[in-house]
Amino acid sequence: MTDHANDLPEATEHRLEELEHGLFTSDLSVNEFLLVKEAGFHPVGLVMGSSIYHTGIQTRKWSQSQELTKLTEAMYNARELAMNRMEEEAAELGADGVVGVRLDVNYYEWGKDAAEFIAVGTAVKAEDGVSRRNKLGKPFTSDLSGQDFWTLSQTGYAPQGLVMGTCVYHIAHRGLGQTLGTTGQNVELPNFTQALYEARELAMTRMQDESARLGATGVVGVRLEEKSHQWGSHTIEFLALGTAVTKTGEPVTLAKPTTIISLDN
Amino acid sequence: MSAPFDPTASDARELVRTALASGAAERATGAATTSDLSIDEELNLHAIGWESVELVTGYSMFSTPVGLWSWGQGEIVAAAQAHANAFRMAAARISDEAAAAGAHGVVGVHVERAVHPSYTEVSLIGTAVRPIGAGRVPATRVFASDLSARDFARLAASGWEPLGLAVGASFVYAPRRTMGAVLQQQSQNVELANYTEAIYSARELAMERMQRAAIDLKGTGVVEVKIVEGPMAFASHAVGFAMWGTVVRLAGSSHQNVEPTMVVSLDDAALAFDAATLE
Repeated sequence: MTDHANDLPEATEHRLEELEHGLFTSDLSVNEFLLVKEAGFHPVGLVMGSSIYHTGIQTRKWSQSQELTKLTEAMYNARELAMNRMEEEAAELGADGVVGVRLDVNYYEWGKDAAEFIAVGTAVKAEDGVSRRNKLGKPFTSDLSGQDFWTLSQTGYAPQGLVMGTCVYHIAHRGLGQTLGTTGQNVELPNFTQALYEARELAMTRMQDESARLGATGVVGVRLEEKSHQWGSHTIEFLALGTAVTKTGEPVTLAKPTTIISLDN
Repeated sequence: MSAPFDPTASDARELVRTALASGAAERATGAATTSDLSIDEELNLHAIGWESVELVTGYSMFSTPVGLWSWGQGEIVAAAQAHANAFRMAAARISDEAAAAGAHGVVGVHVERAVHPSYTEVSLIGTAVRPIGAGRVPATRVFASDLSARDFARLAASGWEPLGLAVGASFVYAPRRTMGAVLQQQSQNVELANYTEAIYSARELAMERMQRAAIDLKGTGVVEVKIVEGPMAFASHAVGFAMWGTVVRLAGSSHQNVEPTMVVSLDDAALAFDAATLE
């Protein structure tokens, strides 16, 4: 290993070497496997990054809406650790990218505030030998399924990276006066509306900033997840997650979609 | 939106006739078949020239020493051995049962595994299959695969074949944090290196074992890998990492492209509208 920035365990490097000699592992389904092949890629190995992370404590004011920056940082850093480790494994394999990335947070009985952040995906390599790495020279990452990956490639776009933005936000409780004042009325609750808006905007903006760094022209398959994890009902994490894409410039012949009516369900 | 199956449609009639015809041929030789495949899957199998033979099972249970999980350092070797042995025995039994029934492989294997404090059990159930007309010609090797019959057919059409199941598992003790560290980290954003490292070493050992198994089967790939990881329910200071998948290799000379057709389903929009919500 000449790359000193690489902090993978030694055993990992040994195992990845084995993968470089022809065997591939993958959590892709058979359909996804065939479609990844169809898109001109070959799976090279199942790659993973994980981090068990302890999130700090931040006091919240009962009646104040605010971002909890310490928790935001924790959620962001821990995911970055997991993602970067996964990317390093993919880079070690000489992969062009990672498809079908799953980003999960698991809580176990390891004490309060400790969670496992895990990123798992299948590293792929272009069969024509032309590098498909992103602008930063790293393997692209994408949470698109094999099906979506193939469909995207048909439209002349290429994934650049999985981008995310997160914001942990404390939403103020309503005072007794406010609650009584609106009882029995049809009325918007502006403090809640505003808090949710702001938190969502922060998460989305951060995601867009990440995609701008990759020089992407768009973000597809964006999911906006809201979770309270273990913080109680008024503290919510807004997580925006999507795949940044750019136009490849290769000529595209869009398939004419066929309309079908499924007889299932 | 649910449309009733129309058995009078011309293409459906043809498919059913083909399926029944091959079933009739089977009965003529005196052996009835059992299978947990759906009708669709049976048709898929027939489409590539295979047929179901019998529902087969493999089961194995291995005990682990008392006190194994209580405390220690590094890998819990006996637990990993029990897991590997239970899987190996169960896989051997399901293959033997399939071979005895004259099958060449088992598809759609349901993998059920459980790690208990004092024993590990693995149970496999699947449908034994063989090329139509292979009759009692013994197979040189009987594969067991957790791919569905549909996936098996699709792989075969693309020039790939399953070779068997590869499994890898490892259980590792996570070193305890000192009381001082716990207190110090109480209010901090910090990575818990002890758990992260334990998960990593368990995972590396598990992956290495799965890869070794795949290479031993002369495979070139493992698809649909499933992962079960995390601390053991009964011993949270020990983390387990288990993974398994179907080993495949290219059967023909080259990969056959599937050339998918793009379709737009009209189902979702119809489902999304529910008149009841207007009340």
